[in-house]
Amino acid sequence: MAQILQYLANGLVFSSIIILGSIGLSLVYSIADFANFAHGDTMTLGAYGAFVAFGVFGGLGGTALGLPIGFFLALAVGMALAAVVAVLTHLLVYKPLDTDSIGLLITSIGVAFVYRAVLQAIFGTDFLQYDISRSGPIPVLLETLDVAVTQRDLAIIVSAAVLVVALHLLLQRTTLGRKMRATADNPDLARVSGIRTDRVILVMWVVGSALAAAGGVFLALYSQLDPRIGFNILLVVFAAVILGGIGSVYGAMLGGLLIGMLHELTPLLSDVGLPVSNAYAPAVAFVIMVAVLLVRPRGIAGDAS
Amino acid sequence: MSTLDVGGYSSREKGVAGLLGALAALLLLAVLTGFLAPAYLLYLVGLSAMYMLLSMGLNVQWGYGGMINFSVAAFFGLGAYGTALLTASGSPIAGGVSPVVALFGGLGLAAVLAVIIGYPTLKLRDDYLAIASLGLAEVVRIFILNESQWTAGSAGLTGIPLFFSDWPVLGDLTYPYVFYVGGTPLFYTTQSVVTSLLNVVLVTVIVAAVYLFLRRIHRSPWGRVLRTIRTDEDLAETLGKNTFAFKMQAFVIGSLIMALAGVFYSHLVLFVSPQDLQPITTFYVWVAVILGGTGSDRGAMLGGFTIVAIQQGTRFLTDTGALPIGAAPLRLMLVGLLIIFIVRLRPEGILPPERELIWPDSLGGGRDE
Repeated sequence: MAQILQYLANGLVFSSIIILGSIGLSLVYSIADFANFAHGDTMTLGAYGAFVAFGVFGGLGGTALGLPIGFFLALAVGMALAAVVAVLTHLLVYKPLDTDSIGLLITSIGVAFVYRAVLQAIFGTDFLQYDISRSGPIPVLLETLDVAVTQRDLAIIVSAAVLVVALHLLLQRTTLGRKMRATADNPDLARVSGIRTDRVILVMWVVGSALAAAGGVFLALYSQLDPRIGFNILLVVFAAVILGGIGSVYGAMLGGLLIGMLHELTPLLSDVGLPVSNAYAPAVAFVIMVAVLLVRPRGIAGDAS
Repeated sequence: MSTLDVGGYSSREKGVAGLLGALAALLLLAVLTGFLAPAYLLYLVGLSAMYMLLSMGLNVQWGYGGMINFSVAAFFGLGAYGTALLTASGSPIAGGVSPVVALFGGLGLAAVLAVIIGYPTLKLRDDYLAIASLGLAEVVRIFILNESQWTAGSAGLTGIPLFFSDWPVLGDLTYPYVFYVGGTPLFYTTQSVVTSLLNVVLVTVIVAAVYLFLRRIHRSPWGRVLRTIRTDEDLAETLGKNTFAFKMQAFVIGSLIMALAGVFYSHLVLFVSPQDLQPITTFYVWVAVILGGTGSDRGAMLGGFTIVAIQQGTRFLTDTGALPIGAAPLRLMLVGLLIIFIVRLRPEGILPPERELIWPDSLGGGRDE
């Protein structure tokens, strides 16, 4: 039982990361109408941005959620960097293109390579870590529930929850959010209704990439940082978005939660006698995605048309 | 007379041919002056031929049928691993089988996987197919990486024989060879001049045979149906064609050609590892196809050649020490920029399909009966 609780706790941390990644991917998918293969590398970009910024702000005193205050500043820098790069990429690369969604998909692979090449050229391919000392599991949880959760894990979950709630409020309580939802739902209708969809699309790139960057930072905090972390997780993020239903931000969150959980629950399979090692966790996410696509091509929360 | 001059070549085609000719002459000159080792040239020719096969295989799927297959690396890998597992002395399961027999092992594996991957995914929408096939290819790579009792895992397979090594007479003519660039050993191999030459002859024959075969089927009624499916699948369906069956056939044919490239790669490089199955291999082949001209087999061949030029050329560029960037990021950057610029500036590619779709006889001036 404690074992399952532990898997679920791990799942919650991993889900937080996947949810942050899948929101942005889903936003781009619904508004710009293509599968953005550069999204994973946007996550990596944010993680490296925060890495550099943490080198600058890391010394600031005080802690929040068990992490140095400087880390949260660095997180903000990483998010801002990813947003700026994504907007520039949209204006310079995607917008002038006169092509279909497949052309955009292929172009985004090129963009992903350019991002990764730049990071590789600057930082090399070695593993890096944020210079934050690791602490052991939180004693209270370990004693009462026999579940090992570190402060770092908790910080990831709480930060992700804050970002997701902020996005929810933005979408539901502000005019900008209403415009974003309208544009995601039907860009043409939104445009003839007087919404300046060009601006909304820019905002969407900013929001999506900033959240992706946060996901990348947490991923690097959770494990390690190297130029491939984002791309390696991209397929799992795609699985989450497709599972949730393309075009639905809330679907993406739900899909992220499910896929993240399933990813970390993979060890259960070997507990019940199936010889599936942890290395197959992404593969399990994938097979589930293909299965869902076959039964419900529009995902769990997708509109049934 | 027809307005379309099928006999002549456009100035662009002449330009491309001229450029390739000049490059070939340059390489030959480099060999004659001792700047480039003959063994390395043979290796380059083999590698180009391999990429040509891969891009022709993808062209059948994407160029003819419009299927976005992002699992090129998996089929290439199955061909490579299929033959390597059967022939290599370091193989954990079999080993020692003649390459001529093992060839069919690689092809068989790829055919089975093509049906397993194709059956669920070919019904999916374009972009879903892309994501699903990339994912399934990753499943194959993860499997090979982790099931080391069958595949030797991350260590890879060594001790793969040359394709003609078990032929009598030729087996002995080998000498060890180390290829240096700027003092760093780049490339070790046991070189056997005659078998290497035979390898080149073999792959040239394979490439030519595949090219002629594809040209034949592309122009056939089967190819026409596939083109219709690519343009408008619903229309093909309305016309009573079983589009799924046609797509499946094209998928399997393309996958077999990719596996053939893998088999050849194993016997050329004499080492395979899960590293060869990384998604980057798939994207290289995609660049080759869209650069050459989607749907054009000559374009696919040109693209395959270009990829090798980028891969190997970046080594020389960075070895001179003139660039502040390593070979790996430079290569990635070039490929990335190439993708962005082709889609932006020349989406139809350098040698788009033109005359390939028309039997010369069907235009006036031929053998009118």
